[in-house]
Amino acid sequence: MTETVSAEGAARRRYDAIIVGGGWAGSVLAKRLGAQGWQVLVLEAGNGGTETWPGYLDSLSTFHSAVAKVPNAAYRPNKAAPSPNVLDLAPVRDPQAGEPEFTANGYFVQDGQLPYGTDYLRELGGAAMHWLGAVPRMLPDDFATRSTYSYGLDWPLTAEDLQPWYAEAEGELGVAGHAQEQKELGVVTDPAYEYPMHHIPQSYIDQYCDHRLGDAVIDDTVAQLPYALRTFGLPQARNSTPNPAYRAPYRIQGAVGLPNYGERCVGNASCVPICPVQAKSHPLRLQAAWPPSVTLATRCVVTRVRATSTGTVTGVEYRTYTDPASPVSRSYLAEADVVVLAAHAIENARLLLFSGLANTSGQVGRNLMDHPTLLNWALAPEAGGPVGPFRGPGHTSGWEVFRGGPGRRARAPFRIEIGNWGWGWATGAPMSNVATALGIGGDKDGNVRPDGVFGPELRRLLGSSIGRQLQLQIAVEQSADPGNRVTIDPARYRDAMGNPRPILTYNLDEHVRTGLFAARLVAQKIFQRLGATDYTDHAPHDGVPPLGHFVHTVDEQTLDLAYSGAGHGAGTHIMGTDPKSSVVNADQRTHDHPNLYAIGCGSMPSIGTSNPTLTMMALALRSAAQIHRDLAAARRPVTVRPAAEPANPEKEKVTA
Amino acid sequence: MITALALDAQGFGIPQDLPALRRYLQAALEVEHLTIPVYMTGMYSIVSGTNRPAYFTIRSVLVEEMLHMTLAANLLNAVGGTPDVGHSQFVAKYPAKLPFSSDRLPLIGLQHFSPAALKTFLTIETPRKLAPKPKPGDGWTSIGQFYDCIRQGLEHLVKEQGEAAVFTGAAARQVGPDDFYNSGGEVFAVHDLQSAQLAIRVISDQGEGTDGTIWDSDDLIFGEQRQLAHYFRFNEIYTARSYGPHDTPADPPSGPLIDVTWDDAYPIHGDSKIADYRKYAATSAVYEQAVAFNTRYAALLRYLHTAFNGTPRAMALAIPTMLELRDRSEQLYRNPHPDPKLAARGLYASPTFELEPSQFDTVSPTVEQNLRLAGLQPGQPIDLSPVPSH
Repeated sequence: MTETVSAEGAARRRYDAIIVGGGWAGSVLAKRLGAQGWQVLVLEAGNGGTETWPGYLDSLSTFHSAVAKVPNAAYRPNKAAPSPNVLDLAPVRDPQAGEPEFTANGYFVQDGQLPYGTDYLRELGGAAMHWLGAVPRMLPDDFATRSTYSYGLDWPLTAEDLQPWYAEAEGELGVAGHAQEQKELGVVTDPAYEYPMHHIPQSYIDQYCDHRLGDAVIDDTVAQLPYALRTFGLPQARNSTPNPAYRAPYRIQGAVGLPNYGERCVGNASCVPICPVQAKSHPLRLQAAWPPSVTLATRCVVTRVRATSTGTVTGVEYRTYTDPASPVSRSYLAEADVVVLAAHAIENARLLLFSGLANTSGQVGRNLMDHPTLLNWALAPEAGGPVGPFRGPGHTSGWEVFRGGPGRRARAPFRIEIGNWGWGWATGAPMSNVATALGIGGDKDGNVRPDGVFGPELRRLLGSSIGRQLQLQIAVEQSADPGNRVTIDPARYRDAMGNPRPILTYNLDEHVRTGLFAARLVAQKIFQRLGATDYTDHAPHDGVPPLGHFVHTVDEQTLDLAYSGAGHGAGTHIMGTDPKSSVVNADQRTHDHPNLYAIGCGSMPSIGTSNPTLTMMALALRSAAQIHRDLAAARRPVTVRPAAEPANPEKEKVTA
Repeated sequence: MITALALDAQGFGIPQDLPALRRYLQAALEVEHLTIPVYMTGMYSIVSGTNRPAYFTIRSVLVEEMLHMTLAANLLNAVGGTPDVGHSQFVAKYPAKLPFSSDRLPLIGLQHFSPAALKTFLTIETPRKLAPKPKPGDGWTSIGQFYDCIRQGLEHLVKEQGEAAVFTGAAARQVGPDDFYNSGGEVFAVHDLQSAQLAIRVISDQGEGTDGTIWDSDDLIFGEQRQLAHYFRFNEIYTARSYGPHDTPADPPSGPLIDVTWDDAYPIHGDSKIADYRKYAATSAVYEQAVAFNTRYAALLRYLHTAFNGTPRAMALAIPTMLELRDRSEQLYRNPHPDPKLAARGLYASPTFELEPSQFDTVSPTVEQNLRLAGLQPGQPIDLSPVPSH
């Protein structure tokens, strides 16, 4: 059970390390440092309570009663530590040419050409409280796109450097995966490697697609290359059957809040935002394993990192609130030898900017990334029968072949996820199907529509329209672009507590747009091969563009396209070897401050086409080892006086 | 219940030889299973979304009874026996007498979530210390006494014949942690006296508490979070009050109040039988659904039988069947009793847990086919997708 203290209690003493943020990265770091005996304080801005059983049940009820089942739907709003929400964005009717086609309300201020459609959650456990649990490793060539394909930025690390840390991270997360497939994909290089748990089986939709497409070859006309399709299972941080071949007997971890509750995945299909049986892994499990040397304080919103004139940091200032609805707050100070920011890419950048630290390079807040995701939806042919959507985790297999290789020169690479949740993301199915079938919403004059159906006809219609839904969600790599950035303007934009709100300036460059374009054409071809009817539509209707809409032309072909945010906020304090062009080094230590670390997806110079959590965890574990060495080195005597030696060794010898 | 009732007739004592020990362990399986329909009825008759503390309390005990049943099967397999759970006579006829038990104990019936149901649960889980001492030949008054007899018999046999002569079962028949988990404690293989004693201790401690406390020993044995033993978990619901830090088994709970709303349950006529429903088959689908429930319950027992007889991975097919039974029972409870007189009294339909040999005959081919299609191999990944859903 996690011990929490009040803001006053947290300020009462000094620590070896202060970690800002109780999400995945902060939780695993605290676990490691705490296990090594270091006194660690974790400051969490969120309200707390998610780690208790009543809190968990409350999240479940909040999700059940939410009208829009968006990722943050399970968690209550918090004025003191506001979170961005995907519902904050709205399209502009009849936008002016060249002007943004959206407006943003809520926590983010957005002044870019295109919307940043990604959210996160400022609550104990972080955005991992609503994540899907997808944990693919990055491809080897993802780490060197600049030198290999002349776009994006190279990492100061290679995939090989990260192999042992990936393995560690998979143990901490509790990953169910198919080791042999991942070895064939080239992301696992240790031939003896096994995952802690057996893979989650392929869904019926996966098998449907696999069976009908086999190893069909799809021509990507943009990259001008043929690609042979082959599905690979997705490694997932989700309870499955323990793998006896794993290096140590693996025990599935139970739930948080109620002893021994968590189950194995049984396909409840609401992983985002919350698993009703806690089969999905989340950071509160790691927190439950924190040793007593780790102290947690919730409702502590860190406002600034404090530094001395010599460049070392001394601790943080934070404000605490008692009521998430009316955040009257008081300020406190906590001090430590090492400060680690683990508060999400955008929050880390906001904190560094407000603190005026680590920005010699001018790169803090820059290179903001995400995986712009192109949704494609179609109905499988009636003759093939239903495909069984809305069962199992969000997706269980994907086509990986478009992720790597020389095609990346011509267009951004992409990963095709075979969706298991029908048109849920694209159109709000199945609720939208029910509404349409019932005739809800009326005609455009507000009159009751005559074409609503009910009874057996309703059931037949829904069975036909929902049961055949196919969706391909295609996550496209977005490479680092210094123009995509987080800034602050405390004079104009503050939240209710008085902290500066993030101002986002976001766009997609030509390479990314071409990647989305190519992905759309590939999806069309896949649907054709399946004999499915493509209903994908990203064009404006009645003057209203879809969110993330843009028009793109390649080789005289023009398409209306639109993307969604993937929830993969990254960049903002990228790592590198040169302090002039990067914010942190390969250990995620800031170049400017020897005892200030900024960890998380913000450190990544590129994110390939992999959901970034696993790589973030591998980096956090690597940093934990470095911080341990820092702390140990700072405590060792400068010179160790040798033990008293005999005055005359020769003489000693003789007498002996 | 056939083994248990036969033994009951012979009188209660300490098993003196291996065949007797095996009969006692088969009876133990029947005793553990006897609680499951009773607790299922109490839990699933709660109106969905209400009485959450009670729901999750009953659920945690119910799942631990499944653990006990599995540990009893492991014990029986370890001493060279063959668990026999996949036939109609394995299941008690409710209201049922606890096998070997003293006649002074009340009969155990199927009751909806209510103070009376909790009273029954408390009877089942009564700790030794709170139960009257059994008189010779009078039967036991607590399940702990029953398991204590098994332990004494086992220890005596090992002393007399040696471990190797007693623990002759094949290791491959043991159900391990990979194939089952999900509440306090853990399934583990039984292969010698020490693991057998531990299995018996887990069963007794989870039910009635360890060393004269209100707590089980999940923390001591498995390094898990300590929980109240079953009797005390139920007593919290019965009294709508949680235990305080200084309460002993003899004390009523003295901690904070728990929200228990007895009205948020579907009242049932627990003695309803399929034959009663059949009379109204023309006017109500309850008959058909109640039969279907029992048939699926037969399938569950067939899967468990397979899991306990050399194919532990068959547990993977038992679990979706349990989820199906949850949905089916919740649907039944939402329907008024088909008998208009009972419906007028506000009573609802309920699963009857009556199992006929014909139901096992009906499901057996499907069960066999599904086991074949699933191709479950020890240590290998589980993929049920070749198995058609029902």
